[in-house]
Amino acid sequence: MTNAATETTKKAPQRRRPRWLKRLLRNPLAVLGFLIIGFFLVVVAAAPFLSPYPPADQSLRTTYLPPGTGVSWGGPEGQFGLWVSPATRSPIGGVKVDESEAYPVKFFVRGEPYEWAGGLIKSDLRLFGVDGPVRYHLLGTDEQGRDVLSRLIHGAWISLFIGLISVGIGVGIGVPVGAISGFLGGATDMVVQRLVDIMLAFPGILLAIVLVATFGTGLGNVMIAVGIASIPVYARLVRGSVLSVKNREYVEAARAMGKRGMPTLFRHVIPNSLAPIIVQSSLQMAIAILFAAGLGFLGLGARPPQPEWGLMLARGREYLAVAPHVATFPGLAIVLVVLGFNLVGDALRDALDPRG
Amino acid sequence: MLEYTLRRILIALPAIFGVIVVVFAMVRLAPGDPAVLLAGEFADQATIERIRERFGLDRSMPEQFAAFVSNLAQGDLGRSTRTNRLVTEDLAQFFPNTLELAFGAIIVALVIGIPAGVLSAVKRNTWVDALVTFIALLGVSMPVFWFGLLAILFFSVDLGWFPVAGRGTFSHVVLPAITLGVSSTAIIARMTRSSMLEVLDQDYVRTARAKGVLGRTTIIKHALRNALVPVVTIGGLEFGRLMAGAVLTETVFTWPGVGRLLVDSILARDYPVVQGAVLLIAVSFIVVNLLVDLIYGLIDPRIRYD
Repeated sequence: MTNAATETTKKAPQRRRPRWLKRLLRNPLAVLGFLIIGFFLVVVAAAPFLSPYPPADQSLRTTYLPPGTGVSWGGPEGQFGLWVSPATRSPIGGVKVDESEAYPVKFFVRGEPYEWAGGLIKSDLRLFGVDGPVRYHLLGTDEQGRDVLSRLIHGAWISLFIGLISVGIGVGIGVPVGAISGFLGGATDMVVQRLVDIMLAFPGILLAIVLVATFGTGLGNVMIAVGIASIPVYARLVRGSVLSVKNREYVEAARAMGKRGMPTLFRHVIPNSLAPIIVQSSLQMAIAILFAAGLGFLGLGARPPQPEWGLMLARGREYLAVAPHVATFPGLAIVLVVLGFNLVGDALRDALDPRG
Repeated sequence: MLEYTLRRILIALPAIFGVIVVVFAMVRLAPGDPAVLLAGEFADQATIERIRERFGLDRSMPEQFAAFVSNLAQGDLGRSTRTNRLVTEDLAQFFPNTLELAFGAIIVALVIGIPAGVLSAVKRNTWVDALVTFIALLGVSMPVFWFGLLAILFFSVDLGWFPVAGRGTFSHVVLPAITLGVSSTAIIARMTRSSMLEVLDQDYVRTARAKGVLGRTTIIKHALRNALVPVVTIGGLEFGRLMAGAVLTETVFTWPGVGRLLVDSILARDYPVVQGAVLLIAVSFIVVNLLVDLIYGLIDPRIRYD
């Protein structure tokens, strides 16, 4: 009895984390990447709770306010915390801050009511807000007096969604096509690879531009276009790794046991190509978000007043010299998210590489 | 070598054919009457009919395609619906500017990327290496248009060192070339690093090191020569990619290149120009890749042509 008990306690630590996961978590850049993506997911999930105002709220008396206008540390009587004084812009006088009034920024403030998650959540509670009849803009306002921070927060899901949909399209079509092409070989492979060649002849963002030019602009078409543009990448990748495992002994064994082609492919071959697919998907999220923002910037993607980051940047470009913050912050947001996915993808590649 | 060259060209041909099919299909798949798309939305009925006649748009698809290819072979891509200029004239005017920009960008990428990669490899697993790796990742994570805007804001608006936009003198090309070159710099730095590490790990380098016959700098110099072979390839492929990537950079800096012509034409629904620009960019990308393959064979005698 005692022996058995000690044996089980000895066995327990054997279920350790796999080596690649250990390697991954030991890499500080990977951890940074996961933190960035996690932060981004929280922002997407709790957007209206985190954002001070609805993204489309405009006020023509507060256009182009620089970040933090009217916001100061410490109250009028030396109180601790952030305090806000009313700020306005008039065509002649410029930005004016009325310092005779000040209201504190507090946690859990009731603001304008919002609906979230398709009407499941109805509330007016926000994480922080001003306790008083005044608006505050930590990241400033744009040409219509809309709060840049709120628009950034509400635009986050667009980037994430574009990334997910396009990676979904790329994996959903590219992986089976590449796998079948590599597994069957012969004429099928030849035809598929020439088609992939044609798609790869439109480098980078060009294929997405061609598709959008053909089927029309707009956010939906951008997602599909960026997804289609990633199909050849997956097809090549999976074909390569299928070719490298196709003649391994366990696949031959499965065949020798009378297993048919396609089930063998999906049971034994594709799971062994999983590592490069996962790595590529993380990097592809980054590329998709960049492409979509680029198309938004060119005016081929999201349409106003959608708070898509690339589009916000394009609008900000028009008055760059007057209000540089309007273009700066959406760009920073894009860099951060894309960097997060690139860091994770890069670290995954190192961790999953058996030579490492 | 000759056989290899011919075979590579034969592989490139189906891709070029495919590009032509895609460009042909663009107008036919787009919603709306192709004749109207090619004539422009403000064209009168007579012009539309003339276009329909000229491109054979009332005939069957194979016949239309034959007409398209035959026009293409005669260098006829039609006329812009906005300016009524020949598409070929537009392309001939804008393409050299895109090439100029891409050349500038690849020079930036090589001049910064190679030393950064060598430094990273030589100082492997130190903070220098980590810093280069991080900056390189930042470089590929940055939207070029944002980087370009910040560069304009800082160097042109604040400091007044460079013109805000346009093309002409050397100082006009500096900011756009750096902007376009950022992600290639990062890619070349990483490629140089891994290629350098591989060479430094070779037996002959280790032997030389162990014997102490060669100084550190000599080793690096000799290793670099061998490490640069794959870097040259990547540099060439990057150049091809840059010609397409220039779309965004050209828009930010209002650089009169093919990329901007393409975007302007898409927004104005000027389909003949869209077709021409897409065809030009894609075919030059294929040709550049082909040349890179052939040059690769020349500089590395270890490559076998079979």
